[in-house]
Amino acid sequence: MRSPSLAILWEVWRATRVEAAWKLALGSGAGIFILVLSYSQREIVKDANAAIALVGIVIPHLIGWLSMARLNNGRAGFPLYLHYTHPIRTAVVVGLPMAYLTAVSAAIYLVSALLLRATSGYAFPLLPVAAWMAALTVIGVAATWSTRNRSVQVNMMVSATAIAYLISMQRLTGVEIPDNYDWPPRLWPTLFDWPLTDYAVIALIGVASFGITVAGVARQRRGDGWAEVLPAQRGGVWAWLVDSIRVPCPTSSATRAQMWFDLKSNGLPMLTIGVALASVILLVSAVSSPIDAALNANPGLHASCPISECFYVRSAPPLLTLLSLFVMLFLGRNAFSIRSRQGRTYIGAFEATQPHGAVQMAVLKLLVRSACLLAALIAIGASAWLSLPLLGDALFIQMWGVPLNSKSSVLNDAVATLTGYEQLSLVIVMGVGLVIWVALFAGLGALWARYSRRVNIAASSLLLCGLAFAFLAVAQRNGNVSAAVIHAILVAARWTAAAAIVGATVYLYWSCLAERTLAPRYALGALLLSGAFVAAWMALLGAAGVQFASMPWTSIASMLLWPLFLPLFTSALAPWSYSRVRHT
Amino acid sequence: MGQTVVEVNDLSRSFGSKRALDGVTFHTMAGQVYGLVGANGAGKTTLLKHLLGLLRAATGSVRVFGLDPVRDPVGVLGRVGYLSEERDLPEWMRIDELMAYTQAFHPTWDASYARELIDTFGLDPSKKIKELSKGMRAQAGLVTAVAHRPELLILDEPSSGLDAVVRRDILDAIVRTVTDDGRTVIFSSHLLDEVERMSDHVTLIHQGRVALSGVLDDVRGSYQRSRLHFVEHLVQPPVLETAMVIEGGGRTWSVVHSGSLEQFRRAVVARGGEIVESRNATLEEIFMARAGRSRQVEAA
Repeated sequence: MRSPSLAILWEVWRATRVEAAWKLALGSGAGIFILVLSYSQREIVKDANAAIALVGIVIPHLIGWLSMARLNNGRAGFPLYLHYTHPIRTAVVVGLPMAYLTAVSAAIYLVSALLLRATSGYAFPLLPVAAWMAALTVIGVAATWSTRNRSVQVNMMVSATAIAYLISMQRLTGVEIPDNYDWPPRLWPTLFDWPLTDYAVIALIGVASFGITVAGVARQRRGDGWAEVLPAQRGGVWAWLVDSIRVPCPTSSATRAQMWFDLKSNGLPMLTIGVALASVILLVSAVSSPIDAALNANPGLHASCPISECFYVRSAPPLLTLLSLFVMLFLGRNAFSIRSRQGRTYIGAFEATQPHGAVQMAVLKLLVRSACLLAALIAIGASAWLSLPLLGDALFIQMWGVPLNSKSSVLNDAVATLTGYEQLSLVIVMGVGLVIWVALFAGLGALWARYSRRVNIAASSLLLCGLAFAFLAVAQRNGNVSAAVIHAILVAARWTAAAAIVGATVYLYWSCLAERTLAPRYALGALLLSGAFVAAWMALLGAAGVQFASMPWTSIASMLLWPLFLPLFTSALAPWSYSRVRHT
Repeated sequence: MGQTVVEVNDLSRSFGSKRALDGVTFHTMAGQVYGLVGANGAGKTTLLKHLLGLLRAATGSVRVFGLDPVRDPVGVLGRVGYLSEERDLPEWMRIDELMAYTQAFHPTWDASYARELIDTFGLDPSKKIKELSKGMRAQAGLVTAVAHRPELLILDEPSSGLDAVVRRDILDAIVRTVTDDGRTVIFSSHLLDEVERMSDHVTLIHQGRVALSGVLDDVRGSYQRSRLHFVEHLVQPPVLETAMVIEGGGRTWSVVHSGSLEQFRRAVVARGGEIVESRNATLEEIFMARAGRSRQVEAA
């Protein structure tokens, strides 16, 4: 490395390259997939899907740079603190990574938009949105680096995102279009033609963020940041929740003590956040109608509203519900508590050296996390359900073109017509499905910690396959590839995937039983659970009107293969991967 | 002689292209203190992690109490106390919670002993781990490691980065544990005077291999440091077969050597010199001689 600047840039590139790749692949892949889905649809659906694809390539940039936060093990403050002892000015230590991350965010958006343009023909906006993505990134970086106070960070990020959301909504929905949503692709070149003052504002945001960050990091470097004297606040809301939940540790058994450990350190704080979000959804819903009525009655505001009744606060609860679900699923991902610090991923030696079996430990962690996640999701779902009547039908017609509120009775009736067995099946499918979700993420996280290179290669290969399929669909639409070829490729891919999960499941069980990681009775229990899941799945398919008797066996096999093997595969993958990361 | 507690046979382990352990064989008996010494990166921590089952033996075998620590972590870890160099404790826990949590895993937990140690160290049970200093963390970690009266206590650089007072506290606690019948301690350290003071046995690991292993007194007895005087002025160091390190110049030379002293004396006399003074070498001198010698061989 010839200069400190190059060394810093190399370090940031090294830390963020995988995240940059998945942000690009995920945004573009999801966007192309959504566009491909709408090829045979009506024009209005195609337009709607194009808008969703645009949102899809923007969303990965709203979560910030997770790999940089990981350098700090999620703690607040400047993540490249190891440079404090190097003879480099703070402005350089801060400015170079900040500029790099901002430029890469904008570049990822631009490449994604160009890919979507090439595959769909829609004029996905380039520079205007890329510039705002850069602005949001630079604000996010400033918020997370300049202070160790988590509340300040969260407030800055929420404010920036909310302001960006409100401005974009105001601009994109400025023209009311009858029988369509307000920003169809044909209007994008006009709608996204920001005035030059926007770019001046973005430049100012950049300069201000840089200045604030340099000042904040300089204080941290000197060790006199005011958050230093408040150690209890350093861990943020999560640490505060962990401290607040005062439950004594049981000493009667190792299993109870471990359950206490997982509940106190992860489960209960997650559940509390879920319940808090559910309460916020309900509260906002309760006050939204009067506030909207008051705003609509205001002559000044009403003049700027293009329709008879605008939705201000009432649009927040449905979006907040979706956001809450994503947040909870995100919080439920790391059931094995795998830590990351300065490029190293590991489980703590403290837990790993407790005299508890790897399988018992893994299963206990998964069950605690799943139970708390399920309870949180139920709270959010119940809150959203109770909120529907408070928001009114008109909102849903405006947002999604369907009177969702009035359709809720249809859903009620559908659940009511299910027999007791079918309702039990629904509960089993939802419960086991959630455990599978938690276990899959935990297992993959452990595998990534242990075999990061191989997992990255496998994930990249899968994403490339997905992209290849999307391009094949585009080629078919343009007449370059015949439908028969596409069909043959899809059938081959489906059977390859089926063979892969069967093979992987057999290998995992063989490996676990040979190493005595799993006891035969555990394997038997997993088999019984998978059988129950398949039976429940079949009951629900039957309730949905699927006639198994009239179907060929290959169709039935392909329909039941995944429900049977996914729980089996997951039930072996989770303890196996935990054992691999515990006994490296 | 007591029963065998640890049996490591021909253990090898690589991390990428780096050979961390290379054919290590290491046995311990009950009721003894074993000191592992070696330079940074020599493989001490890697060996200890194998004993705890945190690393899986790639080649060779590891048995603790006759059990494989990877296959039977409950059977092994239930009888082991461990204090890591990193003091890896959950930061959100209070000290009393840490004690209660650890107690649940160990039926043999001695609550009065734990309380006594906490009082001795002056730890506040209501304090969180994240509020403790480095030394206090080490003390809290040590209480959890010894309060269940483990049959085997494994300490990885227990006094690394600690001041003399805390270091003495930890060493005293080790002594107390060992005085209980039949308990075994394995500890790694680069503080050779500490190892010399505490250990019955010493094992020197150098570049992943056991360079030296034995009863401390035997090891020290088999190496001497001698001061030599020659009649003639020597420009080059004298060639002496059992010499490992030769320092000095002219007529006076200082030599660390192995083997019998009488044989060495004859070799010196044959080259026109005499032994002026001779004593057992210190562990540090032996360590420097063994490690330095292999470095010279590598360089050659």
